[in-house]
Amino acid sequence: MTDYFKYLLSPAILSLHAWGMWMGGNYTWIGLAALVGVLCFDAFLPRDYSMRDQRYVRIYDVICAMTVLASFGNIFFYAWLVGSGHFETTASSIGAFVSMVFIGFVIGAPPVHELFHREEFVLRWLGRTGQCLIYDPWREITHVVTHHMRVATPDDPDYARRGDTVYGHILRTFPGQWKEAYHLEKMMWTKRGRKWFDPRNAWVYKAATLVIFTGILYALGGLLGTVLAILSLLLGPRMMLEVFNYVNHYGLISATPGRFEKHHTWNHISPLTRILALEITNHAGHHEDSYKPFYKLEPDTNGPVQPQFLLVVLLAFVPPLFFMMIKPLLKHWDQHYASPQEREIARRENERAGWHELNQPDPVNDLPPGIWRVAEA
Amino acid sequence: MLKQKAPSAATRADLCRITVRGKDGSEDVFDIRRNDLLLKAAIDQGIEYPHNCRVGVCGTCKTRLISGRVSPMVDLALSPLKNAEIEAGFVLACQAKVRGDLVVEVKLGHHTMLPVTTVSARVSRWRKLPGEVIDLRLALDTPVHFHAGQYATIAESGSFTRRSYSFYDAPPMDNGAPASEVGFLVKRLPGGRFSEWLFAEDRSGTKFWMEAPFGVMGVDEYDRDGLCVAGGTGIAPILSIVADRLRRSTTAKFTIVLGVRSATDTFAEPYLRALVDQAPDRVRVVTILSHEPEGSTWAGPRGLVTEALGPELGLDFAQVSAFICGNLGMVEAVERKLIGLGVAEERIHADKFIPSGTP
Ligand SMILES: Cc1cc2nc3c(=O)[nH]c(=O)nc-3n(C[C@H](O)[C@H](O)[C@H](O)COP(=O)(O)OP(=O)(O)OC[C@H]3O[C@@H](n4cnc5c(N)ncnc54)[C@H](O)[C@@H]3O)c2cc1C
Ligand code: FES
Repeated sequence: MTDYFKYLLSPAILSLHAWGMWMGGNYTWIGLAALVGVLCFDAFLPRDYSMRDQRYVRIYDVICAMTVLASFGNIFFYAWLVGSGHFETTASSIGAFVSMVFIGFVIGAPPVHELFHREEFVLRWLGRTGQCLIYDPWREITHVVTHHMRVATPDDPDYARRGDTVYGHILRTFPGQWKEAYHLEKMMWTKRGRKWFDPRNAWVYKAATLVIFTGILYALGGLLGTVLAILSLLLGPRMMLEVFNYVNHYGLISATPGRFEKHHTWNHISPLTRILALEITNHAGHHEDSYKPFYKLEPDTNGPVQPQFLLVVLLAFVPPLFFMMIKPLLKHWDQHYASPQEREIARRENERAGWHELNQPDPVNDLPPGIWRVAEA
Repeated sequence: MLKQKAPSAATRADLCRITVRGKDGSEDVFDIRRNDLLLKAAIDQGIEYPHNCRVGVCGTCKTRLISGRVSPMVDLALSPLKNAEIEAGFVLACQAKVRGDLVVEVKLGHHTMLPVTTVSARVSRWRKLPGEVIDLRLALDTPVHFHAGQYATIAESGSFTRRSYSFYDAPPMDNGAPASEVGFLVKRLPGGRFSEWLFAEDRSGTKFWMEAPFGVMGVDEYDRDGLCVAGGTGIAPILSIVADRLRRSTTAKFTIVLGVRSATDTFAEPYLRALVDQAPDRVRVVTILSHEPEGSTWAGPRGLVTEALGPELGLDFAQVSAFICGNLGMVEAVERKLIGLGVAEERIHADKFIPSGTP
């Protein structure tokens, strides 16, 4: 039974954060502190390959939907607090803002992603509308179509090649996604024989949702409340999602675009990350069947694993450190996971990145085989 | 032909029963696991389900859903299906997750399905032909089986760029033997990532990877006369099909209608001549030019390839098998024309050269 309650961790942190903001002063940092505390603690826990209890799966859905609704409540609450001049000191303003940024990313974004992949109408609708929480209702289309089809090839705008820094990736990925989203939306209205402004087009609906969402923020928080709330969403979930994409398939190579294989993704399977991120870091299962709900995802017991999630995300912002971390892992992947064809592409990618040492086997210093395999019990 | 191989881990409750109705009233039944992709699961069981790209871009696996529920992986409006087809209940089998028992309408092939393999190869011939075409031959490190009219997906070693090309060879003579060398006709597409790379310099000796065989184009009774219509390098699978059928039947006759731009686009000539030499009284070639300058010495027909199709060919359209290959617009136009001339829909076999890479 405990499996179900694990996922209450996210709403719990969210509530704590709301309480902190309400208390004001230095309490506004409490949400961030709780989040970072949990993730730091997680870094010391062993990997968790367990499956979730499957008896009362509706409970999972309810918790997930609740988390989306609570995240809406949270951003509205923040806008209102800002608008009513609740944060008196600079420290409290900064604390609330920074907490919003990180909580919006770690707690707000995963259930939105989870639900827009779902088939049930109500859940999918909530997921789609929930994209207001990343202030970009268009994110879903390139994610579901382009990313899932072309993962681990340069034709996927969400993919970072070897040698790419997170900053370069962010500059490339946004225009790539916009171009792709426009192309796909246009295809849909052309196919259905509609004009671009037809109210039945998905993009019109999305734009309307965003306008309404912004309107509510404005009604609650005035100009300042709206601006800070939106900024927290853009700097938080919206941007950090790209950081997540950056690390999650970093440098891996698929020679079979359109046909995902489990070694085409990294995984983060430490226990608390799995819970907070709604298993999205347990990534192989999600790509194998993107309709599969989070509680059914099976951790890949032999899949590529990166160090703990928080650590990797922080390292990403310091490219030399990130490269130092990822290079031996990529070399290991090339040697033990890539297909012969993928290994040849990897060779060329290594040269392109100037990482020639990855093409030189070094039996003494290379990571030993089997580092990602779960020890047989 | 349907070997029932229930996946071992699946229990009865996990299995969905798929009933396939053909337009001719035939009915095939097989089981697949719930939540599997319809096309992939069928192919894995050795069922010859029509398909090409397997990633939702070619439309070959178009299937009419009569009853039951599937979930498409992407919005069908983003697929090659037309809006009217979507509304009429068509889905793409390669994109359809099976959610329960289904009744579908699609034409299954009844040949042996060949396993798809990935093999390494080296370029054994790289030859520029008139009309911006390259004859590319690959010597395969591991021989591969294929049927006439099928295609392969190839990529240069070390490159992410993969593209599909049809074999122009017939499968090896002795029935059942794999081919150790295969050939493709690659048209240069201005700005095209793969074809421009291939044209840039002699690629002899370059290592390639090839995944094959794909496609189900060349199926029909061997003794039927064939009407083959090709646009440009669409002639490749036609060469394969005609050469194969000339060997398998002693009576079938073939009319090949080839559309190219101008009289200088003679890339296909030696291959066609070889076919005619093989059976002079059974193979006839009509070339039609779409962009030949006025007043040139060309005495043959001019216009789009559809304009060469008509009673003047002297064929019994109700009896022929038709094989069409070329770009999407050309194939669709030819299909419409042939149906108008009385060719039976189930005897029209088409392969569309849609862009096989990603933009
Ligand atoms: C089943 C199948 C079999 C094929 N067989 C052959 C064959 O035997 N010989 C052959 O020459 N080609 C064949 N093709 C097409 C081939 O796979 C490539 O798409 C083509 O060679 C272009 O690749 P590229 O990398 O040069 O161009 P890309 O870089 O992929 O394309 C550049 C631009 O041209 C457009 N484009 C791409 N392909 C086409 C096309 N076919 N028609 C019109 N516009 C296009 C693209 O949309 C893009 O804008 C086949 C395709 C399929 C699906
Ligand atoms: S095989 Fe399904 S669309 Fe190509």
